[in-house]
Amino acid sequence: MKNNTWNRREFIVKPILWAGAAQVISKAESLLANPVDGTAGAAILQRTLGKTGITLPVVSMGVMNADIPGLLRRAYQLGIRHFDTAAGYQQGRNEEMVGNVIKEMAVRDKVVISTKQPSHNFPSHPAEAKQRFIDGVEKSLRRLQMDHVDILYHHAVDSVEDAAAEGPLNALESLKKDGKTRFIGISTHRTTDVLNEAIRLKAFDVALVMLNYTMAQDSAMLATIERAAKTGMGIVAMKTQAGGTVRPDPNLPKELPAVSQTALLKWALHHEFVTTAIPGFSTYEHLEQDFSVAWSLAYTKEEKEFLADNSFAEAAEFCRQCGECTNDCPQQVAIPTLMRSHMYAVQYRNEGLAQNILMSAAPGRGLDACVACKSCPAICRNSVQISRKIAELKTLSAN
Amino acid sequence: MKIKSSIHARLALIVILLACAHAQSSRLRNGNSIHAPGQPASFLRDPLPDKAVAQGAAAVYTPDSLYQYIDGGADIYLLYDFKKLLHQDFKSGALDLTADIYEMSNPEDAFGIYASERSANYKFIAIGAEGYRDQGILNFFADRYYVKLSGSGANVDALLDRFARMLSARIGGARTLPPVFARLPRDHRVLHSEQYVKKDPLGHRFLAPAYVVSYGEGKTESKLVVSIASDPQGAKSRADQLARHFKLSGKSSPAPELGENGMRGENSFEGRVIARTRGSYVIALFNPTGNGAEMLKSAAQSLP
Repeated sequence: MKNNTWNRREFIVKPILWAGAAQVISKAESLLANPVDGTAGAAILQRTLGKTGITLPVVSMGVMNADIPGLLRRAYQLGIRHFDTAAGYQQGRNEEMVGNVIKEMAVRDKVVISTKQPSHNFPSHPAEAKQRFIDGVEKSLRRLQMDHVDILYHHAVDSVEDAAAEGPLNALESLKKDGKTRFIGISTHRTTDVLNEAIRLKAFDVALVMLNYTMAQDSAMLATIERAAKTGMGIVAMKTQAGGTVRPDPNLPKELPAVSQTALLKWALHHEFVTTAIPGFSTYEHLEQDFSVAWSLAYTKEEKEFLADNSFAEAAEFCRQCGECTNDCPQQVAIPTLMRSHMYAVQYRNEGLAQNILMSAAPGRGLDACVACKSCPAICRNSVQISRKIAELKTLSAN
Repeated sequence: MKIKSSIHARLALIVILLACAHAQSSRLRNGNSIHAPGQPASFLRDPLPDKAVAQGAAAVYTPDSLYQYIDGGADIYLLYDFKKLLHQDFKSGALDLTADIYEMSNPEDAFGIYASERSANYKFIAIGAEGYRDQGILNFFADRYYVKLSGSGANVDALLDRFARMLSARIGGARTLPPVFARLPRDHRVLHSEQYVKKDPLGHRFLAPAYVVSYGEGKTESKLVVSIASDPQGAKSRADQLARHFKLSGKSSPAPELGENGMRGENSFEGRVIARTRGSYVIALFNPTGNGAEMLKSAAQSLP
């Protein structure tokens, strides 16, 4: 494997239609039902969440990482109107905190609250699963001190089977009918498969999906999200900053620049089918930084330069070595091993180590075992482009 | 003679090797863990309370795979230097029990993650260093382990209790909260409010890591933050950043009467704050009550 200077792929940004996509609310004709404090002369970009009719600023708050009441208060002050939590975050304490702050500020009727209920390890019997789901949501409502939420998601649905599972589906419909939630949604990390199923089921009002710059080449996924939006499903984007660039993953070779935060968020929001994003900021600094995007999606010079440099996309597309993809591969290729080898070959430019790792693959499961299927069936929940990386590795190995 | 000694030495060596191999094999046959003492798998060895029987093989999750089990909830575990999770389901008669044993880097991290999920409303029990139960769950931490038990079935709480005590005894090790909490003021402390925050304490990146405790007087809840810098210069830098934050978002002024690098601040979303440094520490009191200055002084003096 030679140290080739091989051509980096060109990043092709989808045509930006944001000027026509976002509804710019001017100060004079403010359509916000609840004027934002301290926004004299300002305008926040808003979009409508599918067929729900809910209009939201394009930047919302994923509360997951923040057990900080002051941060929620400040987020509301700045203009955020949608707060996303989940039953599983801090074992329910996150919901408690959200509930306490919303109640203290007396703004329940001015905000959109979403929470999520998982169904992992639920009984297989649909009626039992339905009841378990409903019981879980009732606990959430108690913690939130609310009689209903605005969006209730079936949390972390990562298979087509789970998306269609009768128990949770029946529970969601029942809870909506009973007024415990205004709308029902599905959250997933396996966007293409699960969202296609959600489209087929016609059961969900909203979908919470991962969308970030590292997925720019995943045309199938982007097309699926767009298709879902066209059916009237509201699209909320998570992981827009690729899992947290301010807390660099140890796999990343270097700390990413501050400009990456707004650049990545803007990139996600340039997709007109996304209503709002829920970045999980946990400091006042990042709150202000992220919400600055709600005033304008135009890239700064620095943001353009950052996005034009593909090294981030390559670095952030990291394999977590979970091995889930291996079962998808008909040849049982040792994909995690190949991904590690790719990382050392491409990002760290350490050919020797990359080669050693390649050779450590089990016999018959290494690079040669990959037959380059017409459509690679191996799917990565962290959106690693497996087939592309294996192709690159083969090219490097051949030289 | 020399030849005989040599033969005897070789025979002795062979005997020793055979004895070791037998012992290893014996452990495997008996189903005992071959992990070193203190490893999570060894905590779930037989005998188990109420003749509980493991259902299937245990699952082990690492930092790379934890999200497969708890999705986005994994982030905070990684923050507290999570090492490994052993997940095992059990059955005892008609009762089901799940044991999740999280191995963290050290007792302080185990406390940190335990406290992040703890609500003051739980029913607390004396298991491990501290524990609590709620409907069908019992969680506690001991040494560098955070143990989460859940169960279903009639009277499962009693089984959870016995399981927890068994695990606590097997884990052994440290049985206390981080020592700093014993030094901080006790009057009006909200029970079970202590936290060890490794990232962005109260929304301020520069204050990490920090110990946080809540105090309640009437309807006012104050938060005492002890931020640990690497040295006095680092502490001053943190105090300066705190002052700058409040200056930009509200108002801030020096307060030398509070002590070293003393400051006061206020804004519309955090309320009021008084703070000072002492050596490598920044001590801040958010939403202080009338005797806030005294509490700040007392806290500063108590630190090592």
